[in-house]
Amino acid sequence: MKQWFTDLALGVRLALGGGRTSWVRLALTGAGIGIGVAVLLASASVTTVLSERDERQAANAPVTGEQTSGDVLYSTFWFTEYRGESITGRFVKGSGPDAPVPPGMSKVPGDGEVFVSPALAKLLESPEGELLRERFPQQLIGTIDDVGLNTPHDLLFYAGDATVPEDDGTAISRFGGQLTERALDPVLSLLVMVGVVALLFPVLVFVGISTRLAGAERDRRLAALRLVGAGSQRVRRIAAGEALLGAFVGLAVGTVLFFIGRQFVDDIQVLGLSAFVSDLTPSLPFAVMIAVLVPVMAVVTSVIAMRRTVIEPLGVVRRAKPVRRVLWWRLVPLVVGVGVLITQAGAFGGSQSRGSAPIVIGGIVMLLLAIPVLLPWVVERAVGRVRGGAPSWQLAIRRLQLESGTAARVVGGVAVVLAGGIALQSVMASAQSEVMDSPGPEVDRGRITINLRESTPELVEQTAGLVARTAGVAEVHTLRNLGFKAGEDDYHSAFVGNCEALRTQAVLPSCQDGDSFYVETAFSRGHRSLLKAGQRVTMFEDSTGDQREGPQWTVPEFTVVKPPSESINFQSGLLLTPSVARAMPVEPESSNLLVLIDQDERDVAEHVRNAVAPITWRSYVSYFGEADVSQRVEQFQSIRQGLLAGSLITLLLAGASLLVLALEQVRERRRPLAVLAASGVPRGALGRSLLWQNAVPLLLALVVAVGVGGALAVLLLRIMSQPIVLDWPGIAVLSGAAAFMVVVVTVLSLPSLRRATGALGLRSE
Amino acid sequence: MNDGGFTRGPGPVDGPGPVKVLLEAVDLHKAFGPTPALDGAGLSVRAGEVVAVMGPSGSGKSTLLHCMAGILTPDKGTVRYRDVELSAMGDGQRSELRRTEFGFVFQFGQLVPELSCLENVALPLRLGSVKRKEAESRAREWLERLEVSDVADKRPGETSGGQGQRVAVARALVTGPRVVFADEPTGALDSLNGERVMQLLVTAAKETNAAVVLVTHEPRVAAYSDREVVVRDGRSREMEPVT
Amino acid sequence: MSIGHTLLGLLEKGPRHGYDLKRAYDERFGQDRPLHYGQVYTTLSRLLRNGLVEEAGVEAGDGPERKRYAITGAGVTDVEHWLGTPEKPEPYLQNTLYAKVVLALLSGRSADDVLDVQRAAHLAAMRELTKRKASGDLADQLICDHALFHLEADLRWLELTAARLGQLKTAVTR
Repeated sequence: MKQWFTDLALGVRLALGGGRTSWVRLALTGAGIGIGVAVLLASASVTTVLSERDERQAANAPVTGEQTSGDVLYSTFWFTEYRGESITGRFVKGSGPDAPVPPGMSKVPGDGEVFVSPALAKLLESPEGELLRERFPQQLIGTIDDVGLNTPHDLLFYAGDATVPEDDGTAISRFGGQLTERALDPVLSLLVMVGVVALLFPVLVFVGISTRLAGAERDRRLAALRLVGAGSQRVRRIAAGEALLGAFVGLAVGTVLFFIGRQFVDDIQVLGLSAFVSDLTPSLPFAVMIAVLVPVMAVVTSVIAMRRTVIEPLGVVRRAKPVRRVLWWRLVPLVVGVGVLITQAGAFGGSQSRGSAPIVIGGIVMLLLAIPVLLPWVVERAVGRVRGGAPSWQLAIRRLQLESGTAARVVGGVAVVLAGGIALQSVMASAQSEVMDSPGPEVDRGRITINLRESTPELVEQTAGLVARTAGVAEVHTLRNLGFKAGEDDYHSAFVGNCEALRTQAVLPSCQDGDSFYVETAFSRGHRSLLKAGQRVTMFEDSTGDQREGPQWTVPEFTVVKPPSESINFQSGLLLTPSVARAMPVEPESSNLLVLIDQDERDVAEHVRNAVAPITWRSYVSYFGEADVSQRVEQFQSIRQGLLAGSLITLLLAGASLLVLALEQVRERRRPLAVLAASGVPRGALGRSLLWQNAVPLLLALVVAVGVGGALAVLLLRIMSQPIVLDWPGIAVLSGAAAFMVVVVTVLSLPSLRRATGALGLRSE
Repeated sequence: MNDGGFTRGPGPVDGPGPVKVLLEAVDLHKAFGPTPALDGAGLSVRAGEVVAVMGPSGSGKSTLLHCMAGILTPDKGTVRYRDVELSAMGDGQRSELRRTEFGFVFQFGQLVPELSCLENVALPLRLGSVKRKEAESRAREWLERLEVSDVADKRPGETSGGQGQRVAVARALVTGPRVVFADEPTGALDSLNGERVMQLLVTAAKETNAAVVLVTHEPRVAAYSDREVVVRDGRSREMEPVT
Repeated sequence: MSIGHTLLGLLEKGPRHGYDLKRAYDERFGQDRPLHYGQVYTTLSRLLRNGLVEEAGVEAGDGPERKRYAITGAGVTDVEHWLGTPEKPEPYLQNTLYAKVVLALLSGRSADDVLDVQRAAHLAAMRELTKRKASGDLADQLICDHALFHLEADLRWLELTAARLGQLKTAVTR
């Protein structure tokens, strides 16, 4: 055991002792592994981000309906929108000095006082938020601390309001409820699986590659050790020691990078989500796993790398003609992956998932693993038969024929990123096209609906007056509504208004006070039983809050009518003129103001919202005209963009590894390069040979990646029972980025080529 | 291909009168950092002659060779090839000059390890846009001439040191250069192999009327030259041939 | 090696009597073969006859050994010529060459020149042998090689000496 330790220590000592070059090599290795470790740490933090958020959400959740002897906080939930962003909050009133204080606030806001989240405060102060300021006339008495927020970008407020009804049913006795498990949409969770595997797998590949830099130099060093009498086992241990040092340096670099990087996480919003700096903490098990996995991988890969290299005392004997790679076992992961994924076809289709996530993940991993396993064989076979060509081409091809393993491994990582990206993009594109094509509900941009709660007729009148005076408003109609139950699970609504108001809901052949109608929509025809005149129904006493069953009522005679348009969603239900409604046993408590607006007026919705702001919690303004595309599509697009960005970042990481490797290769072959340059070979030809040397394996990798990525996409789409569509623009973007990367890497390695080919490269050591 | 550089003139050797100087270095100074490597060295090479440059290690022999071949630019002094100053040429022109008019043999590590010996020899021709077939048949002739046609299809790593150096000589001569720079060409070889390489090099150079600048510290190697120059402390000194 | 030239060279520093000369010679050049007394006088009398040295007075006392000799102008020229002429390149030259270098150093002449002249002569001989080797048969080649290796050894010694001249100078002029 002690012997082991001394050997490892000697390895570390050797890795450090070579002067400047060994430090450069260590720095490159550290950087390569470090970038990977930082990405891994960030991914390991996702679970913390989510659980922290869930915990905060639970801690902030108000507990209502409890019997309590102490003071309570009466509150009503409220939300509004501002240019497409939703702002949520509560109007509150404490029942006494001991009323529970919401998390993140110093006290319960008094009447006319308000606490806002930092993001909302910023919005209110900015010129962009000018129109919004009218909606918060309260006195700002402070901002809500992080503990009261889910994410740094929450737009949240708590306003004190003396008019909040003292309803014991919704009174808050304390904050902090049960943690609720969130279930992701199965399709979405499958996408997340592919994403995680496709993005993290290459990181591991690159960590593996980084530990194997400067192989030739290391082999010479170890051969020297054999010369002085170290056994081959000991040499392996010493090599492991060297690899360990690189891994530890990489871990340290990665940790530092991660902690520097997370300072900026506050400013980043991915998929409309964001996280607090303190949330981005790797979960302990994952962190431990990374800390163990990276050094182990380093040691394992370095030992595997030496398998082909017999380290002999008199220099390094590489088997002159490497054994030709065998195909059959390289096909195993591919076959297994395809097989596994085929069996899961349709498993995640629809809303219910019947499939098993581990099996699908296993299949994806297998299929992606097939790429780095297959590529060395593909590169060897593809390059092996090439003859001739320009000298620069010949130089590159011969180099690849002699040793294609390293190149194949590096581009293998790139290919995994590409294949994962292609599969993801295709799956997303397919899902999106389905969403886009499905005839979603059209929205009527010409109308705004204002729902008023606990509204007296006076209040309704007053509000209608306020709204009518707003610029851009054409007409305001009042519709009061009620709910009733015609039988078990058979609910209906009734709208009360004058004939002009009712005409906004349906096409009426004729109308005078005393008439009744029933609007039948395409949806209601299929789902609801038709009411009959004279039918006895049970009225609800409050159609917005707790629906308590009230007195009975008899349905009057009515005419069946159609909504103004079949493509726009209209509610089905009874339309009653005021005199019919007067015969009803309950007074409608909730009213809707239908506002017809001039769509060309800018910000008309904001002006309407501001107009009703004085009645605070009693109003909800709904307007769908702002969203250009349906929200689901938007969400999909943002996820797609996020994944594309993720793929590009991983590609960047691949580029960094490729660059490190290219530099290393130039350094290793300094002398022949210097001699060629001295003999008058133009530097351009040498540069071109570097380019080919990088580009040829990458081109092959692209072909394999498109093939495997396409196959993966098809298999996943079958699993999700989605139409099979490949995302060619996405494939083009990713392939283009990869090609661009090769050019950049080559250009960046040219200065080192220039240095190597100077006369100093000719000096014999 | 010829971008204002060199057209090969008629060989000026056997003409009447004094033999014209082909390559001339005058008063070269070159320092690497604070240490001067050349301190007023000079050398003139006439067509077809073999000049040995001798001197102790670190005296500046190789630096003189690198400057004369246009690999290094001297800090001070001039190098002329056929009355054109090398420092007046661009990097590309100098590369072309080295590829077409000069040839190089170094002590070791000059062959591209990935290419076969035949391809290595053909490489300079291919860079001069000679067709592959022709380049390889000319390369094969040269390998034969240097008695190493048996290693044509092997990679340099699979040949012995002597064979490798002969391949290197073939590569240096295949373009028909006017000057061959040989920097310790036998440094890594035993006496017998060294002798053979020198014999083949000098014979072939004489046959093609190429001048040879031979840097060596071995007198027996230098004895293949027509005259010698000694470099000491960065200064060169022409030895008067004894009659 | 030429004892006459060596004695002349030693006399360049100033007149000495015969016994002194023998001692100076033995000290510097005669490690393995000290001069016979008679050899000194035979040589001196030859030099005297050729006008290269002259008698420079007799010290008090009697006996021929009290006689002092000094170098003449002709003698200096003769030394100069000798130093400037390379020895015929042949094996086992060290003694003569060493004497030449030391005397050059003693008399403040350039020892580098002495060595370079010799080196050119050696190389010329080697070139000749190399050429002969190329055209000769195997026996010729072997004979030439033998000579070449010996000459090379000499040349290497010359190189080494040249590199150590500074050291040698302090040693001989001490």
